[in-house]
This record gives sequence, structure tokens and C-alpha cells, in this order.
Amino acid sequence: MSSCGAVVGGVSLDRVDVSTQAVIQGVVQKDGEPVKVGYVRLLDSGNEFTAEVPVSTAGEFRFFAAAGTWTVVALVPGGSARASVTAELGKIADIDVLVA
Amino acid sequence: MSNEVLVDADWAVAHLADPKVVFVEVDEDTAAYDTNHIAGAIKFNWRTDLQDGTRRDFVSKAGFEALLSKNGIANDDTVVLYGGNNNWFAAYAFWYFKLYGHQDVRLLDGGRKKWELDGRELVAEVPARAATTYVATEQDRTLRAFRDDVLKAIGTQNLVDVRSPDEYAGRLLAPAHLPQEASQVGGHIPTAANIPWSKAANEDGTFKSIDELKALYTGAGVDLGKDTIAYCRIGERSAHTWFVLHELLGVKNVKNYDGSWTEYGSLVGVPVALGDEPGNA
Repeated sequence: MSSCGAVVGGVSLDRVDVSTQAVIQGVVQKDGEPVKVGYVRLLDSGNEFTAEVPVSTAGEFRFFAAAGTWTVVALVPGGSARASVTAELGKIADIDVLVA
Repeated sequence: MSNEVLVDADWAVAHLADPKVVFVEVDEDTAAYDTNHIAGAIKFNWRTDLQDGTRRDFVSKAGFEALLSKNGIANDDTVVLYGGNNNWFAAYAFWYFKLYGHQDVRLLDGGRKKWELDGRELVAEVPARAATTYVATEQDRTLRAFRDDVLKAIGTQNLVDVRSPDEYAGRLLAPAHLPQEASQVGGHIPTAANIPWSKAANEDGTFKSIDELKALYTGAGVDLGKDTIAYCRIGERSAHTWFVLHELLGVKNVKNYDGSWTEYGSLVGVPVALGDEPGNA
């Protein structure tokens, strides 16, 4: 059966045909270092929740969106930050999120 | 908030050493548990412990009894479920516990995420609980919808699609943390309202207040006096909404359709609506 659970850091691209996907990925950083504990939410153009992943121990996250403008929100102990990103089919949009 | 079915972290901390309170971390896989977990918590792997394994169905009554017995859960224990994914799979397990008649089961508000974000203690030590002889009741079918129930509900009952707006409209085929490929078609069940599960939760994963929750569903045009079926893609996000409606708001006749879009979107000959509007019966 198809699953729905989120993979820590996001699903690997190893077996994914990126030409059919609009990938959004990046690293959450605080004080110049990747965070080890945190969650990243993907919001659509109406600011509605679409997905969430826990970051990897290297602060990484990845989503498979549709073409368009999205917002990523990082939640870490003691802080949060958001950033806007544009996704395109067949492309990987890299966006690092810096938590003050 | 804490009540008979929902506990907060302070309640949890005060009951960690209570032998009649069993904390269970539930998720689709148990990788996070295996790293660390709330002190004294045991684990349920939704995929390997709570699914049939052969048929597309969840664990049988005998399987549920064996699982709880093996893990040292007694019929009169208070079971507190929590997990990752904003408690989706913990809510799914909560629904199983209710289906099989467990008396006292609760969710930890905010699940693993809030616990981690609050910097609360997690440990690696795995507890040992003496085995019990757990006896479940027959499955309570009043809580579960099958596909024929859903087809009959089109245009007559509340259908609540709790997926994201893009999944509802057919613009995404899966939650966006997963690659966009699926065998089922995109779209939603005609006449279903789109009330994403996430609107019932705060950013930290805790549930919104009772007043906010009531306003959410009634504001979206759901007549809470009518029977309701909630669905998503595999039934776990809709278990979260089932918990809100049935357990927090006390709405009667709410069913979770665990076949959800994975089943419905694969059926031949059934109506499907595309786009942001519910569509007609």
C-alpha cells in the first residue's frame, strides 16, 4: 500500500525521475550551522499546509511539489523562520532557511 | 489542553512512572523511536504491527489481542499514544483502540514534535513489560466506513476530505513530502468538503481549542447533525479529523474511511470531481 509518512530529511532522489517532479530542498541553519532537530513545513500559495518533514541530522529537507510559489517554514527548538521559493517541473529548487 | 482523551506534556511527565499508564510511540516506521523516545514508552510500528500484512486491511481482533498482550498492555491500562507526523499514525492507532473496545486511550497533544521542540527528555532505554492476556471486543463498525458507505453518502451525508487543497483539487497526487506518482487518479469524491486536517492543529501539532474546532467545521458548512465520513489518502490524516469530530467535539455518527483516496481513486466507474469546488452528486 502507498504510504503517507514523512521520511526524515525527505525522500532520497536516488530512485526518483526528477524530470517529472518539482523538487524543493534545502538545509535549515541556525548560527551558521545546520540544525539537528527541527521540522520543515511546506505551505501553498494560500498559506495552507501541504506537507511537513523532520530535518535530517544535517538539517536537510526535501519536498515534491507542483510548479508554483511555495513557502517553507522551519520550526526548531526556540525559533522559526520562513522563506519563499518557486518550484518548476523537472527542476530542483534549493533554498536554505536561516533561523535567527 | 488535557481531558479524558487528550493529555498534555505536563500530565504525561506526572504519569511516566505510573505502571497502569502505558505510553506508546506509534509511527509508520519506528526509526525515530529506535533513536530515542519518551522514558518508558513502548513502540508500535504502524506498518508491521498494525496492518494485516497480506490483505489490505488493518490488524485483526486476534492480532490486536496478541500485539497488546505481547507488549504488556492490560484491558484496564490507560494507554497514551503519541508519534511523529503530527500524531497522524497515533490518531490512526487511537481509532483502532476504539474499534476494538479499549476503555481508556488518549493522545499526547502535539505528539513527538512538540515534545522535541520543547526540548523535553528523550531516552534510548527500551522498557520491559510483563506480558498480559488482552481481550478485545469485536470491531465497532459504527466507526468505520467502507466504499459502499461512501458511495451512498455522496450528496446525502457530510463527506470531509482532509487532504491538502492541492491533493483535493487533483493538482498533487500525494502529500508533497512524497514523489508525485500514484496509480490512482487525482481529484476528490463529489460533494466532499475540503477541510484539511492541518486546520485543526496549531503549528506545533497541538489541537486547536474546542471553540476554534467547532467554528472550523460549521464555518465550512458541515452540518454536525448529519452523519459524517472523513477520508484522506490512506486513512491516517482522516483518523486525526475523526478524533477531532468524534472524540473532542463529541459529534455522533462519524466514520473514518480508511480505504480513502488510495481505494476510491482506483475504483472503476465511480464519480470523481476535479478542482477546488466540491462538485455535484
